[in-house]
Amino acid sequence: MLDAQIKDALIRIVGQQNYTDSLIDMVSYSYDASEHRARPSCAVWVENTAQVSEVMKLADREKIPVTPRGAGTGLSGLSVPAHAGIVMDLTRMNKILELRIEDRLAVVQPGLVYADLEKALAPHGFFFPPDPSSGKVCTMGGTVGTNAGGVKGAKYGTTRDYVLGLEVVLADGRIMRTGGKTIKNVSGYDLTRLFVASEGTLGIITEIALKINPKPTVTTTAMASFNDLEDAGRAVSEVMRSGILPSVLEILGRETILAINQNTDLKLPEVDALLLAETDGYTKTETEFQMETVLEVFRRNNPGMVKLATSPEEAAQLWTARKSAYAVLARIKSHFVLEDVTVPIGKVPALLKGIQAIAKKHEIQIATFGHAGDGNLHPQILYDGYDPEQVRRMEAASDELFKLAIELEGTLTGEHGIGLSKARYMTLEHDAVSLEMMRTIKRAFDPNNILNPGKMALDAA
Amino acid sequence: MEAKYDFERKYREQILRCSRCGFCQAVCPVYGATLRPGLNARGKMLLLKEVMDGRIDLSDELIETLFQCTTCASCTHNCPSGVQVPEIVKTARMDMVNIGSCHPAFTGMNEVLKKHPNIYAEDEAEEFGREKKRQAKYVFFAGCVGLYRETEATEAALAVLDKLKVDYTLIEEVCCSGVLEDVGFPLNDALVQTNIDRILATGAEAVITGCPYCARTLNNKPQYAPLRAQGVLVMHIAQFLQDYDLGVHTHKKVTYHDPCDLGRHCGIYEEPRQTIRKLAPNFVELPHHHADALCCGAGGGVRGAYAKNSIDMARRRLREVEETGAEVVLTECNSCVHNLGNAKLRKQKFTICTTTQFIRDLMEEAG
Ligand SMILES: Cc1cc2nc3c(=O)[nH]c(=O)nc-3n(C[C@H](O)[C@H](O)[C@H](O)COP(=O)(O)OP(=O)(O)OC[C@H]3O[C@@H](n4cnc5c(N)ncnc54)[C@H](O)[C@@H]3O)c2cc1C
Ligand code: SF4
Ligand code: SF4
Repeated sequence: MLDAQIKDALIRIVGQQNYTDSLIDMVSYSYDASEHRARPSCAVWVENTAQVSEVMKLADREKIPVTPRGAGTGLSGLSVPAHAGIVMDLTRMNKILELRIEDRLAVVQPGLVYADLEKALAPHGFFFPPDPSSGKVCTMGGTVGTNAGGVKGAKYGTTRDYVLGLEVVLADGRIMRTGGKTIKNVSGYDLTRLFVASEGTLGIITEIALKINPKPTVTTTAMASFNDLEDAGRAVSEVMRSGILPSVLEILGRETILAINQNTDLKLPEVDALLLAETDGYTKTETEFQMETVLEVFRRNNPGMVKLATSPEEAAQLWTARKSAYAVLARIKSHFVLEDVTVPIGKVPALLKGIQAIAKKHEIQIATFGHAGDGNLHPQILYDGYDPEQVRRMEAASDELFKLAIELEGTLTGEHGIGLSKARYMTLEHDAVSLEMMRTIKRAFDPNNILNPGKMALDAA
Repeated sequence: MEAKYDFERKYREQILRCSRCGFCQAVCPVYGATLRPGLNARGKMLLLKEVMDGRIDLSDELIETLFQCTTCASCTHNCPSGVQVPEIVKTARMDMVNIGSCHPAFTGMNEVLKKHPNIYAEDEAEEFGREKKRQAKYVFFAGCVGLYRETEATEAALAVLDKLKVDYTLIEEVCCSGVLEDVGFPLNDALVQTNIDRILATGAEAVITGCPYCARTLNNKPQYAPLRAQGVLVMHIAQFLQDYDLGVHTHKKVTYHDPCDLGRHCGIYEEPRQTIRKLAPNFVELPHHHADALCCGAGGGVRGAYAKNSIDMARRRLREVEETGAEVVLTECNSCVHNLGNAKLRKQKFTICTTTQFIRDLMEEAG
């Protein structure tokens, strides 16, 4: 519980209706979409930058932790208030401030829901490409805070490639603007990018200037099955060498396929891997030309079947398997962790094989699917969280998974961030010097360590 | 450890399956009206999980979220883990009531139904000037809202049935009492028995209801099994009318609001549309329709207990009607008509009524 005086001060800043310490809200703000949990002391629903600034001044003076929060869909304990304190819910700052199509610019508040941005851009034929699959709910602040990406990463990159400028409230309440509204900008250090994927540890983002893209109007979709992982892997590498860039290149591993078949009536071929490819552009000729290249590669690599969708309905049908993966896997056991290890594209088959071996060794179910086109896989480890033995095996398997990814020249996380889940693996990926530099930066921005403390191994000595 | 509450005994596995993905936040009308995540399905499941984990206990502190759910099932429909939130919430409400934690508006409802045959504690139901209790092929069952609040809708439904020369009778109906389960109490056995006896006494082969919620209750609740055992079908009037040629038309731009109880809960989407399209070729869908339809905010006792938020939810739905430019919004639920009507702003010029009301008016115009 907070000191009564501090509570009064917070209420003076945000108003009675925007302050809560009721049990309902405190439990709800204890979680995100990971298995982590920590109860805050109170929460505030901020409405504007001035309020954010005043709350930060107070928190800094009183050394109270503040955890910024969007929709709380993070998968690594990102918005879980590990050191309690204040949860700052930004979802009520949810406006689109500017939409300047000719400048390829959208300026938005952090609480804007991703899908609402998409809805506003659609009539202009534009889109914001990162496309995380949580887009219906997640906020733009969280999207920047984690550098979210999605199935289109290979061709369109991630959030980082689209953030032009920010307004940020620093730990001590000062307000800073970074970057600008231009596509090009090399003026000074790139403070904007520093905040992308900073997981709320450096400042509170209160305004975001984004680059937007014209949306390709035509897509072509195909699927291929491979009895042998090696063949699928070679197909992926060859597609990436072929000179065209598919807009989507997704993979479903055997465990995932089996789980989908057991729980739906999709009747997928029970093979080592399914690849789903999409090409996009502005004319049918163009997308079909690209797809032809992809299909040639598939055919050269011993596929079981190759299916080209001839109508939007057929394309949607091919997508069903990929889209159902998460929901199917989410229902099998009471608990799961959804990892997001990422390796150089050529090493995807080695990663898939390694995952199978780890699952076998630790006698635990790991189903894998993911973005073969950018090397980002989602091994989903399924277990019963009320069985200590299974928890132990899940942890042991995770340990090995991260080691494997790093051995394969990869990273712990391509999308979901470090947060609490992967903090203890930071030393696997980052050398002592770079870790010390990260901590130095953290201290420069937040000397009292009040912004989302406990995350990213930043407060380790 | 022995489970302490019914919700845990029945739904432990489902509550644990909630992966906290937050997808329900995009569709929960209560969240939409309040932007308070503690009130959406995830917030409710997390509280129940903490109760099961022994971190907190059921108490008055949880009333505001557990009793603030319209049971619209939008969350369930969008939930990757298939969590049956409305059923879980209803069971948790009973557990709450058992320990003496209940929203005062709901305690009142249970008391009212102990003494009165309807939820409004009224003594005199509207008389519709039709025969009652005679032997007929169909029984028309209006429901409390239709008998005491939206009487115009009931009169219209009866007029349409008359015009179509349907062989029906009314009965001295009492509240189906389904709403009690929504607010933490079991169905009222005496009321149930009265309805069953009076329906069976007419020798009818089917009950036509004006209320989708009554239809659900009579169709699905074990307490009403004797009706099914006697082969009595229960249907909503939208289902009954779909095959009739009504012989009336309009050029007006018309849209349709799917009631949660008919749509997501019973899967009845096309029957009303079939009828409406025949009447009004200039039919447009609302931005959210079929299983994605937005809730009007009235259900689950929310209208009584959290009136302001209930009206906010209805306003959101009405903004969608405005977007379509429709002159008429039709629906199949008196409760939706009631709440949407209360929420309508002066500047919103469209008409809100049930499909049968609209049909009746067209029939009258046609003479
Ligand atoms: C089912 C599911 C699917 C997902 N799919 C994807 C996917 O395809 N790709 C992907 O990249 N991720 C995915 N995620 C992860 C997550 O949804 C995204 O990272 C999302 O963008 C987070 O947004 P949010 O609003 O929920 O942020 P939150 O979880 O609330 O916050 C995330 C982080 O950002 C910080 N933050 C939030 N707002 C601000 C702000 N205004 N200023 C500073 N820091 C802030 C928080 O402190 C926290 O550290 C998925 C998650 C789920 C549950
Ligand atoms: S959508 Fe379902 S699984 Fe996801 S948070 Fe809501 S109730 Fe839980
Ligand atoms: S049933 Fe409707 S109101 Fe209740 S939690 Fe689900 S979405 Fe929200």
